[in-house]
Amino acid sequence: MMDSSEEIDVNAVARDLISQVAVILRTTLIHDPNNIAVSSLIDKLISIINGLIASEGTVALELRGDFFYINDARIRYSLEYLLNFDYLAREFRRREMGGIIFNERTTSEDLKTFVRAFNFSGSCQKPLEVLEEKLFDVRSFSIDRLRNVVDNNSLEPRKMVKKTYFNAVSFTKGVINKIKSGEKVNIRKAKRVVENMVDQIVEQEQLLLGMTSIKDYDEYTYHHSVNVSVLSISLGQRLGLNRKMLTELGIVAIFHDIGKIEIPFEVLNKPTNFSDAEWNLVRKHPIWGVKALLRMRSLDDITIKSAIVAFEHHLNCDLSGYPKIQKKFELDLFSRIISLADQYDAMTSSRVYSRVPLAPDKALSIMSERSSTQLDPLLIKFFINMVGVYPIGTLVMLNTRELGLVYESNQLFGTRPRVMIIIDRGGSRVKGNVVDLIEKNEQGDYFRTIVRTMDPNKYKINLAEYLL
Amino acid sequence: MQVIETSEEGKEVKDIIQFFLKTRKILRLYPDNNPIYINTLGECYTKFKKFFYDKDDLTLHIKHGEILYNDEQVYFSPDKEDNIAIFFFKDGLREISFKKGLAAEELEIFLKIISLDFNRDVLDDDLVTLFWERDFQKIHYVVDDIVLSDEEDNEVYPVAKTRGEAGIDDNILKAYEDAVNDTELATDILIVPLTDRDLQSILQELEDDNSDKTPKLLDILFEMISLSDPNVDFEELYGFFRNAIEFVAGKGDIQLLVQTQVRLHKIMEGKDFSDEIRKFARRIMIFTGSEPMIVILGDVLDSGQESEERIFEEFVHYLDRSAIVPLMKILGELKSIHSRKFVIDALVYLGPKDITLLAKGLSDSRWYVVRNIIYVLRKIGDKRAVDYLLKTVKHGDVRVKKEVIGALGELGGGGVLQALRECCDDPEIQVRSAAMKALATMKSEAAKRIILNKVRDKLFRGKDFEEKKEFFETLARWKDDEIFTFLIETLKKNVFFGRAKNYEDRACAAYALGFMGRADALPMLQKLQNDSNKLLREAVHGAVKRIEHDGQ
Repeated sequence: MMDSSEEIDVNAVARDLISQVAVILRTTLIHDPNNIAVSSLIDKLISIINGLIASEGTVALELRGDFFYINDARIRYSLEYLLNFDYLAREFRRREMGGIIFNERTTSEDLKTFVRAFNFSGSCQKPLEVLEEKLFDVRSFSIDRLRNVVDNNSLEPRKMVKKTYFNAVSFTKGVINKIKSGEKVNIRKAKRVVENMVDQIVEQEQLLLGMTSIKDYDEYTYHHSVNVSVLSISLGQRLGLNRKMLTELGIVAIFHDIGKIEIPFEVLNKPTNFSDAEWNLVRKHPIWGVKALLRMRSLDDITIKSAIVAFEHHLNCDLSGYPKIQKKFELDLFSRIISLADQYDAMTSSRVYSRVPLAPDKALSIMSERSSTQLDPLLIKFFINMVGVYPIGTLVMLNTRELGLVYESNQLFGTRPRVMIIIDRGGSRVKGNVVDLIEKNEQGDYFRTIVRTMDPNKYKINLAEYLL
Repeated sequence: MQVIETSEEGKEVKDIIQFFLKTRKILRLYPDNNPIYINTLGECYTKFKKFFYDKDDLTLHIKHGEILYNDEQVYFSPDKEDNIAIFFFKDGLREISFKKGLAAEELEIFLKIISLDFNRDVLDDDLVTLFWERDFQKIHYVVDDIVLSDEEDNEVYPVAKTRGEAGIDDNILKAYEDAVNDTELATDILIVPLTDRDLQSILQELEDDNSDKTPKLLDILFEMISLSDPNVDFEELYGFFRNAIEFVAGKGDIQLLVQTQVRLHKIMEGKDFSDEIRKFARRIMIFTGSEPMIVILGDVLDSGQESEERIFEEFVHYLDRSAIVPLMKILGELKSIHSRKFVIDALVYLGPKDITLLAKGLSDSRWYVVRNIIYVLRKIGDKRAVDYLLKTVKHGDVRVKKEVIGALGELGGGGVLQALRECCDDPEIQVRSAAMKALATMKSEAAKRIILNKVRDKLFRGKDFEEKKEFFETLARWKDDEIFTFLIETLKKNVFFGRAKNYEDRACAAYALGFMGRADALPMLQKLQNDSNKLLREAVHGAVKRIEHDGQ
C-alpha cells in the first residue's frame, strides 16, 4: 500500500464542523454562550475551523437545497449526523441564511457574537437583515443569503431527473419483456440504471419523487415498478442505507411485481372487478415472482433479496395478506420498505381495476391507520416525513380559490409547499406562476392555504408538461 | 499520415497512460504485498504528483479507440482487444478527471478496478458501477448512459404521449368546478418529527438486517411446498431447493444445512403431510448427500474454513446410503488430513447402511483410498465386510495389505485364518509382521496353532532375529501352559550345529517368557543369567527383571 497518511479526511472534519455548529446553537438556546460547557464547545469549533483555514485558506459552509457544502464539496453524512444536519438546515432556512464564510482564523468572541445574533434573529420578521446588522463588526467571517437552488438551476436537474426516470422505465420494460421471452437479464445494466436513480435521490430527491406522480395508465406496470423503486430508494436513504444497499434496494424494488407477468393479460387488464377465481390468480403473483427470479439468474445476494421481496411484498406485519404462510417469520426490511412504496404508488395511481386513485394525503392517511398491524409504524413515520403531506404533482385547491399543482415540497413545513397556479381565482387558466405557501401578510397570516386535494389524472392534467 | 507534434504536457499525459497500461499488467500478475506491485504503484503515484505540481487536474476525453487530452491525442491503438480507450468507452465512460490532491489509496483502488479482467472474471458489475461504489473524491468521470437504453429517445415518447392524451384536451376547468363545489377538506396528516429514539431503532434494524438472507429464502421455499401443486410445480421447486442448498453448502454454512435437513426430516416423518410432499422432502434430503453437494463440502472442508465436528456429524446423521459413493470419491481428492478425517468419520457412520456399496471402494485405483476404506470397514466392525477384505489381501501395496490384515484380525471369520497363514509367508516382512499381530488379535486356538507351527518349522531358525522375536512375543500372548512349556523347552535347547541361530531362538524364548510374566519361569531363567552368550544373557536378564517387577 502506498502511504498518504498526511492527507486529512476533510469530509470527516467537515461533518464534525457542521455537527458542532448545530450542537452549539441548540445548547445556547438554554445556556448563555459564556457558560463553561458552551465555551468548551466553541473552543472545539474554533480548532476545527482554524485547522481548516490553515490547510484550505478559506472555509465556506453553504446550504444548497437540502445539502451542506464546504468549499464547494458536498458533505455526505451518516444517520448519526442526521438530526444535527437537519436542525442546522432548518435554522438556516428560517433565517434565509445560505452560508457562513470564514476568511481568516476566527476567535471565541466572534463566534459568541454569531451565536447570540443567530438565536436572536430566529424570532425576527427579517432575520437575515438583523443577523447582518449584529455581525457588522465581526471580521473573521461573513454570512450569505440563501440562494434558491431550484430557481437558479431548475432546468438542468429537471432534465437529468427526467432522463434518469425514463431510462429506468425503458429498462424495466425491456427487462420484463426479456423475462417473458425467457431471455437472460443483464444485471450490470440494472445496476447502472438504479445507480443513476440513487444519485438523483441523493442530489434531487424531491424532483425524482415528483416524477412518481406522473402516472401512465397504459404502461402502468413499468411506471409502477420504477415508482416503487424510486420511493423505496428515497425511504432507504432516509433510513441511512449506504449507496450499495440503496442500489440493491432499487433493483429489488423494480422486480417486486415480476410475478405478474404470469397473470393473463385479460385478467390483469380487466376493467371490472375480479371474480374469486381471478383474485386467486392475482394472489399467486408473489409465488410466481419467486419462481421467475430464481429461474432468471443463479443465486447471489440480489437474487435472494429479490425473491424474498417478491414473496413478501403483500404480506403484512402481522403476517396477514397473501400468500398464506405456515411458519411465523419476521418480514425482511426490504420487504417492509417496498411494501409501503408499493401500496402508496398503487393507491395514488389509476389502474384498470381501480379507476379512482386516491389523493396522496388520503393514501397516507389510510396507510397511517394501517400502521402497526399491517405496515411498519416506524417506517410509515419515515415515509410520511419523506413524501410530505403534499408531494410534488398533487393537485390542490387553495383557500384563495386558486387551483394549483404542488411544485416543490417544503421539508420543514409539510403542509406549505410551493405551488404552481394553473387556474386563477377568477377561474381562468394561467401558466407557470409558482407561489410559496409559507408567505405571510403583514398581520402574520398566510396568504394561501391548501383546502383540498384532487387527482390530476382524473382530469387528464398533464403533469409532465407542468413539472418537467 | 500527418505527424502532429505532441506538447510537453501531452507527452507527460502520454507517459501516465502508458504507465496505466504497465500497472494493469503488474497488478494482474502480482499480489499486493509484492515489492514489484508496491514499487509500480508508488511510481505511478509519483507521476501524478509531478503532474499536479503546477496543474489542478488531468482530464482525459475518451473516444472509441483513442484518448485525448486538451484535444491532443495521447493514446491510440488499432488493437480492438487490448485497447484501454475501448475498455473505458464500451461501458459509457466519456471523460475521466483526476484532481489535484488525489490520494494514493484512491489511485490504487482506481488502478485495481481497471486491472480487473472483465472478460474472464464473472462480474456482475461494470467499470462505472465499480467506480460509483467507491465514491471517489478526486477522480471524477462523465458517463454516457446511452448504453443503458434499448430504445432511442425513450423519454421523448412518454412525455409526448402524455401530452397527446392530456394537454389540450384536459378537463382542468372541470377540476376547478369540482374543487369549488366539493366540501371535503384536505386530510390532515400529522408529520411527526423523527426522534433520537426513532433513529436508534432504525440503526438497530439496519444492524439486524445485515445478516445472511439465505435462511429466509429457505423459509420461503418451504412455504412454497405447501403452496404448490405437486404435479405441476414440484419439479421446478426441487431445482430451486437444489440451488439454494448448494449455495448454502458453498458458503460452508453446515449449520443451516442441518436446519434444512431437520425440517425435511420433520416433513418426511410428519403425518400432516401428503404422500407427495413427504416423497418430495425425501428427494431433497437425498440431494443433501448427493455428489455435487459432497464435492462442494469437500472444497469447503479443504479450504481451511473452521468447521465444527459436532455439526458435521449432525449433517451426516441425516444422509442415507446414496452419500457413500460420493464420499468415497472425494476421499481421494481431499488435500488436508483434517477434511479426510471428517469424510472417514462420515463413512464410518453411513457404511453400515450398505456394506456392499462401501466395499466397492476397495477397488479404487488409489492405494490410500483403499486403505481408508479398509480403516472404515475395520471401524464399523461388521463381519459382512470380511469377504470383501479377503479379496484385498493380495493388493499390490504393502500399506494396504498391512491395513487389511489388521482389519481381518479384528473381524475374524471364515477364510481369515487361511489368509493370515499365507500372509505369514509373505515375502514382505511388514506383511508377515502384520499377519502375526492379526493372529494375536484373534486369540483363537487355531491362530495359536498357526504361529506355533510356523515357529516349529525348520525354516524358522533362518529368519532374522527381530522377526523371530516378534513371533515369540506373539505366542506369549496366549499365556497358556502349552506355550509356556514350548518356551521353556526352547530355552533349554542345546545343539551342536548352528549354535548362533540356536542362541537367537533361546534369547527369543527368554524374552517371550518375560513377556508372559509367569513366576514359575524364574528358576530356569536365573540359571542362565551368567550364560557365556551375550545375546541370551541379556534376554534372560531382561525377562527376570520384568517377571520380578510384575510380581511385586
